[in-house]
Amino acid sequence: MTTAERTRERRLTTARAMVEGIAQEMRRNEEVFVMGEDVGAYGGIFGTTTGLLDEFGPERVMDTPISETGFIGAGVGAAIEGMRPIVELMFVDFFGVCMDQIYNHMAKIHYESGGNVKVPMVLMTSVGGGYSDGAQHSQCLWATFAHLPGMKIVVPSNPRDAKGLMISAIRDDNPVVYMTHKGIMGLAWMAKNARSVGPVPEEEYEVPIGKASVAREGTDATVVTLSLSVHHALDVAERLSGEGIELEVLDLRSLVPLDREAILESVGKTGRVLVVDEDYRSFGLSGEIAATIAEEDPAMLKAPLARVAVPDVPIPYARPLERAVLPTPERIEEAARGLVGA
Amino acid sequence: MIEVRFPVLNESEPDAEGVLATWFVGDGEEVGEGQLLCEVQVEKSSEDVHSEGAGTIRLAVSEGEVVRQGEVIARIE
Amino acid sequence: MSATHLKPTPANSLTPSTIPRESGPQGILRATSSCRTFAAKAPSYPPLPSRIWLFVRQFVYYRKGGVMDTSTRLSLYRTMVRIRAFEEAIRREYYVGKQPVFDIGAGPVPGEMHLAAGQEPVAAGLCAHLRPDDALTGPHRPHHIALAHGVDMKRMTAEIFGRESGLCHGKGGHMHLFAPEVHFGCSGIIAEGMPTACGQALAFKKRGTDQVAAAVVGEGAVNQGGFHESLNLAALWKLPVIFVVEDNDWGISVPRSASTSNFSATDRGRAYGIPGERVEDNSVEGVYEACGRAVQRARRGEGPSLIEVHTLRLWGHFEGDAQGYRESELEDVPGRDPIPTYRRTLIEEGLLDEEEAQRIRAEAEEEVEAAIRFAKESPEPAPDEALEHVFA
Repeated sequence: MTTAERTRERRLTTARAMVEGIAQEMRRNEEVFVMGEDVGAYGGIFGTTTGLLDEFGPERVMDTPISETGFIGAGVGAAIEGMRPIVELMFVDFFGVCMDQIYNHMAKIHYESGGNVKVPMVLMTSVGGGYSDGAQHSQCLWATFAHLPGMKIVVPSNPRDAKGLMISAIRDDNPVVYMTHKGIMGLAWMAKNARSVGPVPEEEYEVPIGKASVAREGTDATVVTLSLSVHHALDVAERLSGEGIELEVLDLRSLVPLDREAILESVGKTGRVLVVDEDYRSFGLSGEIAATIAEEDPAMLKAPLARVAVPDVPIPYARPLERAVLPTPERIEEAARGLVGA
Repeated sequence: MIEVRFPVLNESEPDAEGVLATWFVGDGEEVGEGQLLCEVQVEKSSEDVHSEGAGTIRLAVSEGEVVRQGEVIARIE
Repeated sequence: MSATHLKPTPANSLTPSTIPRESGPQGILRATSSCRTFAAKAPSYPPLPSRIWLFVRQFVYYRKGGVMDTSTRLSLYRTMVRIRAFEEAIRREYYVGKQPVFDIGAGPVPGEMHLAAGQEPVAAGLCAHLRPDDALTGPHRPHHIALAHGVDMKRMTAEIFGRESGLCHGKGGHMHLFAPEVHFGCSGIIAEGMPTACGQALAFKKRGTDQVAAAVVGEGAVNQGGFHESLNLAALWKLPVIFVVEDNDWGISVPRSASTSNFSATDRGRAYGIPGERVEDNSVEGVYEACGRAVQRARRGEGPSLIEVHTLRLWGHFEGDAQGYRESELEDVPGRDPIPTYRRTLIEEGLLDEEEAQRIRAEAEEEVEAAIRFAKESPEPAPDEALEHVFA
């Protein structure tokens, strides 16, 4: 490894990578600004804005009162006037108090206006459980958002994609919901997966919205997944590789637009599919992937579709209970073995 | 040779222990001056440690290890 | 000078601004007597301390020789007539195909229809102070403020008729009128246009312009969470925004007394540190003056204001509303129509005659009928356009 290669392999946590993406765009365009609860001095409770206040000041990194309808709606208004706000919904679980501004205003104004009004805003939010935060602070809910037309949804799983997708989201003229799992942020105070820290290019770059990524190539089965579950799937895949089972892991990266082509190509190749989704099981992402395959050609499946998701229950607090409902590596491995008949 | 030490986050208790939360560089890598090396945590405060010089870094503690404030955590040659 | 201008006018139209102005001792005498008359006769008037304050304020206004100039007053009148002609024509077209049996989805203008007849003074008085680059967000009952703010009537009508040539290519309809060239938008969700206006004001403040944003809502909105969040944000960040509450007494079928505790939108505004005024008697000149103060305050960087107007919903909440719940007052409603009232005032003051009034109405009707023709002659959008404009 040369010195140049070693220094270019600078590593960041997912949180720092997304912050770097925001900072680079804020330097590039003075109409980009950040609003949210505790985004200023605190730096975002999941590290989403750490350091931004120091560089850009309180006019561009604004702490808001606890008024999601008010400040998310204000983001919509500022975006209508051509600014590029990045508004943080602290926990996705809080969408209940402000969903009208999100799905009825942010997502619909472009369409309702016949394309005449744009809403170029980013709504960033933290999702996911696994650290005992209970039913109202551990959800993923991406299917709920993805189900409603008019907003793009991106869900990065690693630092490199986190920065690139953030830059793409800011530059996109549409509302983009940017969802990061707390478990991939690389926070010092939460148990983290090793892949929460990874190489991130220093320059500005975009990761295309709407394009999945093959995180690991394989032949025996496709694991379609996203967010933290990508890492669990990769861990399982490494383990099973030792037994000669080669799983292909497809990291969706975006839910709206959904890269159906990539799903069909991979499943068409392997003939077996396991969907791993930390959102609720019914009426969501895994069902959408099943429908995508069934609409195209059910005969491409050599075995019934398998899915590992959160059962249709609120997420419990006690650790053994929470572990029983989350898509853990154990559940993923069991489902993968069942799928390939091992 | 530069000694990289665990910063003193808790000044009232100099012997307090913390954790080396995240390494951003690997053992044997080339680092530059000012480069982010690691994040450490003492109770609820965390801090970044940047390199004071350039060279090859040798890690003395691993990620997640409990370390006393002021202890050497790496050396840069 | 004859005393005809002091002839008693219907009590419910007695406002300081319907009283003529003069300076000098005669003026003081008239001012005093007029204010006394106002204070005594205004029907839904505020408690004693407010009355005294209004008296003093009006007196001072007269003494300063403040005169609302004729061209402004006639312009306000014309704006109101134009709006009324439009609402009447839309009402007529709405019922086509919906008689004898009312089928909400039938006819050239399907869906819900919320018309603003009776509320013209709010639109005329507010929008007289707004420039095309000021932002304005309307509620589910937006026609009057859209027209007064300068939204193109033809394209607006085509949108209401769901035609391709409409403001939104038929995608939005009557409650979702968007005209970015004059920074106009609507929300069909009660109170939810207020956060948008806060955001627009925030953008103007960040850019350092003297543009302002305004949001119009009904009195029912003051109980919605977004109303309170918006007031707090606007005051906290000192945003150049004007909130206008149209109090037409009814939230569909529920009177204010049954929905709102300690009613006073201006009190609610003041609770957040926002100055406000309540304009009584649907007075277009009262609205004009109050909004003028509010807009100037915003342009000077002094922050938000809340103007509450006691206005009148002449017709139902929506077209097709039998208004059975309103039996107690329906008889009196036509007599409180603000347009004939203002016309009478202007005529009495010699600023308008019947012939001119008729000419104004005829001009308005001509413009409106041309807009309706334009809409009817425009093609409907092609079905697969439904899939367009989801994303930019």
